[in-house]
Amino acid sequence: MERDIFLIGAGQTQFGERWNASLRNLMEEAITAALDDAPCTSLDVDIVVVSNMLAERVNSQAHLGALAASILPHHPPALRVESACASGAVALHTACSLLESGRAQNVLVVGVEKMTDTPSDEIAAALMGAADAEKDAPSGITFPGLFGLIAERYMHEYGLTREELSYVSTRHHERALKNPYAQFRKSVTSDQVSASPLVADPIRLLDCSPITDGAAACLLSTSCESSLKISASQLTSDTTSIADRTSITSFPATKDAAERAFEEATIQRSDVSVIELHDCFSIAALLSLEDLGFAEPGQGIELYKNPPADLQINGSGGLKACGHPVGATGIKQLIEVGRQLKQQKEQWGLAHNFGGAGVTCGVHILEHSIA
Amino acid sequence: MHIPSSRISVSEIAKERGEDGASVSKSIGVEEKTVPNAGEDAFTLAYEAGKQAIDIAEVKPSQISALFVGSESHPYAVKPTSGMVAAALEVDPFCHCADLEFACKAGTAGVQIVDSMVRCKQIRYGLAIGSDTAQSRPGDALEYTAAAGAAALLLGPEQTKNALCRIDQTISFTTDTPDFWRASDEQYPSHGGRFTGEPGYFHHVRTTMQSVLETSKIALEDIDHVVLHMPNGKFPSRIAKEFKLTEEQMELGFIVPHIGNTYSACSLIGLVHVLQEAKKDQRILLISYGSGAGCDAFLCTMLRDGVKLPIDTRETTHLTYSQYQQQMAARAH
Amino acid sequence: MNDSPSIIARAQKKRHSRALCGTVLSHTIVRHPPAGFPKQPRCIGLIELEDGSRTLGAITGAKPIAIGQHVAPRMQLMKINNAGLRTYDIVYEPTVMQHAPLHEKQKVQGYILALTGPSGVGKSTVNLLLSQVIGDYAQHVPIITTRDPKKQDKNEYSYVSEQEFQDLKDQGLIIAATRIPSNTENRWYGYQAKDIERIWKQGKIPTVVTEMHLLKDLSHHYGRRSILSCGLLPPGQSRRAMLSQLLHRLRKRGRDSEASIRDRLRNAEQDLIFFDRRKDLFDHLIVNEDLDHVVSILKRCVRKLDKLSTVQKPKEAL
Repeated sequence: MERDIFLIGAGQTQFGERWNASLRNLMEEAITAALDDAPCTSLDVDIVVVSNMLAERVNSQAHLGALAASILPHHPPALRVESACASGAVALHTACSLLESGRAQNVLVVGVEKMTDTPSDEIAAALMGAADAEKDAPSGITFPGLFGLIAERYMHEYGLTREELSYVSTRHHERALKNPYAQFRKSVTSDQVSASPLVADPIRLLDCSPITDGAAACLLSTSCESSLKISASQLTSDTTSIADRTSITSFPATKDAAERAFEEATIQRSDVSVIELHDCFSIAALLSLEDLGFAEPGQGIELYKNPPADLQINGSGGLKACGHPVGATGIKQLIEVGRQLKQQKEQWGLAHNFGGAGVTCGVHILEHSIA
Repeated sequence: MHIPSSRISVSEIAKERGEDGASVSKSIGVEEKTVPNAGEDAFTLAYEAGKQAIDIAEVKPSQISALFVGSESHPYAVKPTSGMVAAALEVDPFCHCADLEFACKAGTAGVQIVDSMVRCKQIRYGLAIGSDTAQSRPGDALEYTAAAGAAALLLGPEQTKNALCRIDQTISFTTDTPDFWRASDEQYPSHGGRFTGEPGYFHHVRTTMQSVLETSKIALEDIDHVVLHMPNGKFPSRIAKEFKLTEEQMELGFIVPHIGNTYSACSLIGLVHVLQEAKKDQRILLISYGSGAGCDAFLCTMLRDGVKLPIDTRETTHLTYSQYQQQMAARAH
Repeated sequence: MNDSPSIIARAQKKRHSRALCGTVLSHTIVRHPPAGFPKQPRCIGLIELEDGSRTLGAITGAKPIAIGQHVAPRMQLMKINNAGLRTYDIVYEPTVMQHAPLHEKQKVQGYILALTGPSGVGKSTVNLLLSQVIGDYAQHVPIITTRDPKKQDKNEYSYVSEQEFQDLKDQGLIIAATRIPSNTENRWYGYQAKDIERIWKQGKIPTVVTEMHLLKDLSHHYGRRSILSCGLLPPGQSRRAMLSQLLHRLRKRGRDSEASIRDRLRNAEQDLIFFDRRKDLFDHLIVNEDLDHVVSILKRCVRKLDKLSTVQKPKEAL
């Protein structure tokens, strides 16, 4: 990091089916909460960066940067970024670049997704935009289908069983019980997961993150300080189609981003106490743990079977139980890492966000000064 | 050649109508027919048959510069199947292509056209394909036999290295006979019942057979294999009886009992079976029939022993009537 | 909309490259196919084709599929758009064969040993030693180039004019090509398919000492699986340290002018970045500190390669 960048304000909406809130309403809610939490006022915001994936297609609304900026009285300059489910991390990375360059001193980052105004089959079609329209879509594959291929191969290579995989969603639901913002605050048993309807064999309904409305916003600053500092912000890319990879049971983009992030923050994995990782599907949680380096290949499930005492994984409930309003997730992850670090009085946390099948990956490391 | 892997038996269809499967099967001389799946149509079948013909002939696709497809079920009313097949097989883009329709003899009409082009040296190699995924009205007699399949013949100069069989003579006989027709906005064909027999099939095949024997001055006993169009098992058998053809002569090409009537591909599939087993110097007579009506006849000589096609390792699935209905309905998009 | 006439026309052009037999690497059953496709659950696989490339494709038939199943291509009607325009595509039909027969595999696929590394890392020295050690099994692939012959060139190059190079490239006879621009010259380098295939016919392993673009092209043409790719790195903890090592070696070599060394270092930096970003193109990254050590590692790789071509691999990571 060229400058010290602090997370000085954070806020999010309730995640879930928000019938009474529009895209704009959700943004307003999150922005208001973030600014209320911050020591500065809305007029201090230099630039707004919006993170969103689907609005043009399912909300008939492009130009989201301007829409968000117009919520602030002085409608500052604004832009919107998209990298499928990694849009949040990309927005944070963009904000860091603007702050490091000195072009802005206070950046408002807001991630939002309004998914429930649209029939679910259209949402499913829109989510395929995260994959390769020319190479993958013609086969008739869906986004869950891509992870079905990944899960099937993973089970073949490492012997993971259906019963074991069901632990993942069960744990995520356990953790969300304590998260007032979560979409689902209800336990789910492994048996229920294993018995839920098939979506893309072997993936079942309760292996999949839901369709969610929600927004999350944070204020990043080089002019104000706080106890939360961004120590690393790294972005990586890989091929859009999994047919162009050498392996589909590991995401090089995650491995790469994690390496660079740890190098940038000059810390080790053992220093990290809190992680929010990208579990768009339960199998993705396992790949993420392994690619981030917290488990050996094929061993990710152990951390779900026997959660370690010194590492909190997806305390928010993850994408599965907290919900996955696509553009908001990356921001929510960072906010949650900050909140959990403060709550547990720990120092280092990591947020891991990827788009498509590990196509774009963003890793952020947050340092909480326990002063 | 290429046929779908699904079948439905005549008894299964008869059961649905409350008729006695065994007696229906006996009376029409057909046991089961092929059923196309949702993703198969006259183009996909023609492509697979064409691909196999090219592989067997060991000719480079880029050397093929004529391709004709005859069918009653071209996927489009306007947009030629032949163009699509030519592009998919990657033949010479400077290729003569057109689609043909003459009921069940559209495939053999294509053979005659390509044959002429080779003879006059307009082209070196050409493909003639007959392909159909026939539709029949549920409850109609045709439902027992209307099947799906494709056959492709690659024609070229006689001196070609792999030349298998030579067409010595071909004639055609044509009339205007309303035995079987389908209006352009109709999904299913209509037919004249018993009128399709004597005034249709028998008159035309008989007349053509007599003409071939006269003009070629050949005796029927000197023909080793006879292939006739097979709308069912009975019609060709009656002609065989009339002309005193032996079981041996009819045997190889008599493929309708387990495949059904594949329309434009029918007699060509029979010929393909003969070409696999016939011996050098043996003589083959093929007479195809198309309603409307007309016949194409070919008198051929084997240039070498027959070549077996690769064994079809696909499993055949036998459908129940409701599965058959579903499969057929899924095709009428 | 993804089935307009121009989209269909473009997709058709690429269809033939997928009409190959292959093996199922993974499979799933999409229970709710997207709009436009038949409503029934759809079996889709990740298929590795005969030429080493991979594709997603629908798998036909009702029987459950297993990883390793051999499949053959079939033409199928995929969907019909609102205007009645049909999309046909290649689907894959399980065949009776479980795995591709071994002897066929040897005939179809050969392996290429590729050494890649920045200028000055010691590629030529390693290659020389390697040919002394495994010379019986391996043969260097000549590089076809447009640059003028130099005094220190041995027999690694065949020289052609720029026009000849372009012609061969256009005809598809040169299957990997790169232009190395510099302040001093603008030259093309490449490999001809016939040179590689001739070595295979002799039962030997073609070896190339190459750079990133050529490696990418070879991988693309023959399939990634056909290349045993070893990256040679200079010693050094950071990229900066590595580059200074290379600078030191290039100066010590005494072959190039300072201007030329500057160019080489710039390219070398790109190479090191490439190793980082394209790890997927490398099977091994070896630090060239101790020549004997490097050569012994490579010897082991090549021996393993030799064994692999006669033994069916058990299930393993892709």
